[in-house]
Amino acid sequence: MGMKGRRILVVLATAALVAVVSATAAFGAHRTDPGITSTQITIGGTFPLTGPAALYSTIPLAEKAYFDYVNDHGGVNGRKIKFEILDDAYDPSKTVPLTQQLVEQDKVFADYGSLGTAPSLAVWKYLNQQKVPQVLLATGDSYWGFSYKTYPWTTGFQPDYPGEAKIYGKYILKNLPNAKIGVIYQNDSYGKNYLAGLRVGLGLAKAKTMIVSAQSYDVTQTSLTQQILALKASGADTFVVFATPSPTITALATAAAVGWAPTQTFVNNVSAVSVFMQLAASHGAKIDGAISTGYLVDATVPSEANLPGIALGKQILAQYAPGLDVKNQLTFYGLADAWTMVYALKNAGKTPTRVGLMNALHNLDPKKAKNPFLYPGVSLQTSFKNGSHDNFPLEAETLVKWSGGGAGGWTPFGTVYQGAR
Amino acid sequence: MRWRIPAGLPVALVVAAVLAVLPFELSGYHQVLAAHVGIYFIAILGLNILTGYTGQISIGHGAFMAIGGYTTAVMSHYHHTNLVLTLPLAFALAFACGVLVGIPALRFSGVYLALATFALAVSVPQLALKFSKFLGGSNGLETSKTVSHAWLYAACWSCAAILFVVAWLLLRGRTGRAFRAVRDSELAAVSTGISLPIYKTLAFGVSAAFAGVAGSLFVIETNGFAQPNEFGVILSLQILIGAAVAGLGSLRGVLVGALFIGLLPEISSSAPLIGSAHGQDVVFGLIVIAIMILLPNGVAGLLARLARLRARA
Repeated sequence: MGMKGRRILVVLATAALVAVVSATAAFGAHRTDPGITSTQITIGGTFPLTGPAALYSTIPLAEKAYFDYVNDHGGVNGRKIKFEILDDAYDPSKTVPLTQQLVEQDKVFADYGSLGTAPSLAVWKYLNQQKVPQVLLATGDSYWGFSYKTYPWTTGFQPDYPGEAKIYGKYILKNLPNAKIGVIYQNDSYGKNYLAGLRVGLGLAKAKTMIVSAQSYDVTQTSLTQQILALKASGADTFVVFATPSPTITALATAAAVGWAPTQTFVNNVSAVSVFMQLAASHGAKIDGAISTGYLVDATVPSEANLPGIALGKQILAQYAPGLDVKNQLTFYGLADAWTMVYALKNAGKTPTRVGLMNALHNLDPKKAKNPFLYPGVSLQTSFKNGSHDNFPLEAETLVKWSGGGAGGWTPFGTVYQGAR
Repeated sequence: MRWRIPAGLPVALVVAAVLAVLPFELSGYHQVLAAHVGIYFIAILGLNILTGYTGQISIGHGAFMAIGGYTTAVMSHYHHTNLVLTLPLAFALAFACGVLVGIPALRFSGVYLALATFALAVSVPQLALKFSKFLGGSNGLETSKTVSHAWLYAACWSCAAILFVVAWLLLRGRTGRAFRAVRDSELAAVSTGISLPIYKTLAFGVSAAFAGVAGSLFVIETNGFAQPNEFGVILSLQILIGAAVAGLGSLRGVLVGALFIGLLPEISSSAPLIGSAHGQDVVFGLIVIAIMILLPNGVAGLLARLARLRARA
């Protein structure tokens, strides 16, 4: 081989070496999704820690307690969860920059558990454009379940409001077939979606005859006397309340004040937290016998005291969030939501990926995803297989009845209604 | 008359140059923060025209921001109007509303005017809940397009620059002198032939128009999402505080006032001890009190004092 030949050989050998080395490097170097390191998964969400909805701040604190518990018990396949809780005070103009901070500054793996319909609507386009999972949102609107085509990175968590109202409709059809129903509902999508669900549950034909009066109120109104008087005058004997907590308390108290005594009252789940019911009773409302729904284990129900979820929840809260009151149902909401996130993260791939997370959340198998904080008979279920698009993780609910007046509580009764959708 | 170089022009040019170059050095997220300061700059400028120059107090400028913001949301949502075009629309509509408010406000002064404008701040955003079908209600109303961080920065600071020049031109001329006369003594102003109704309502209109543009940009900054909770009473109070920190009756401190209101929550949230949600509010309140004690005439007053000291030396 001459001089020239040797030079060519050297060049070829170097080229080959470089090619092999870079090829190995390319195969060996994984580009993980943001928020994932070998030891940590970073997630974050926006919550009303201050402001008008601050009483819901219990939820992210309970979620953090659960993540701390998981971190102390092996984490998610060895990775610890770092959960950033940001305060948007239920103000979308704060939600937007805080979410941008989570995505662009803190580089979170996912926007998790954020609370509120309006705040979530303000950022869902942005998060989906950025392909950041916006998951297990703390709101019961149906948008999150229906919009998987336009917003594939978004999911909800709790049973949605129309689904809940359908259950009331079905119950009334079966147990109160001659009921004359009087509804009070908030004059926005919250109340209107609830009313629509009730109509579907009753069947549109029956809904026309059975709903004798439907009174709406603006969320800005403080007095509901006019609406309650109209319901009383209509001869309704079944009172359905589709309102946020404050107007619910007003509606219940006003009904008693004007001397209207419907034989059966239904209170929407969001406003049925024990504290609100007790507050309504202290204002004179007659709440015994009122019906609502439940889907979580409840530490205030004596018959549930021996459920494993209750013991676990109490233990976790005592150790990691002693300031939270285990009797506040919102704590179990947080624990249940966080459990679902951990389950999904564990099934999002050995190195979790965002696509993996969404796949896990879109294919929750009730036989595997046994969430201990859910009421027995209520399971997580979603499915994007075989052409189905069930994007509602929780649809089953049990009915609960109030007893004991101002110092009382909810007791589950009857069967669990499955798949209200 | 020879054209003199206006005092403060060199400083203004330097600031403008910095603002022009700044976005290239900032990350996207910080561009949004800077744009946020620009929005407060415009709102504080507007309030200063009203309160600092004609002496009419308003704790209701959040309402005018809401009017401007919803104008942008409605025009973009229903008519797909170009977002830039919605800005002058918001200016015009807010101006009209400001004049409409200014007319009855002629009868009020001092604390009664404050209360009347406060009532505005509380009630106007609720209109979106009342007319929820058209204005989106509690689920808000969205523009048909969203913008990039860089676009937002450019829009906010271009508007700020334009409106600053407008304010400066307005205030240095006859109108400005009339405004100051109204503020200093209504009786003396009337006796020199200045029409109180015209100038007072004009001030309200212009001031509201500025707030309207700030509100439009505010909605655009919020991913084009307009919702009543964004325009709470706190917003009106923040603008007033910003104007007080800036120094009423002068254009010099407006940037500092805007920086204060725009950035302090951001800074205090990352401070160690006080980083919690409630700690922030406490710190904010304490700082405002401290500034009012130490700098009762705001930053502009401080600058004026320094200028006088220098002149004496």
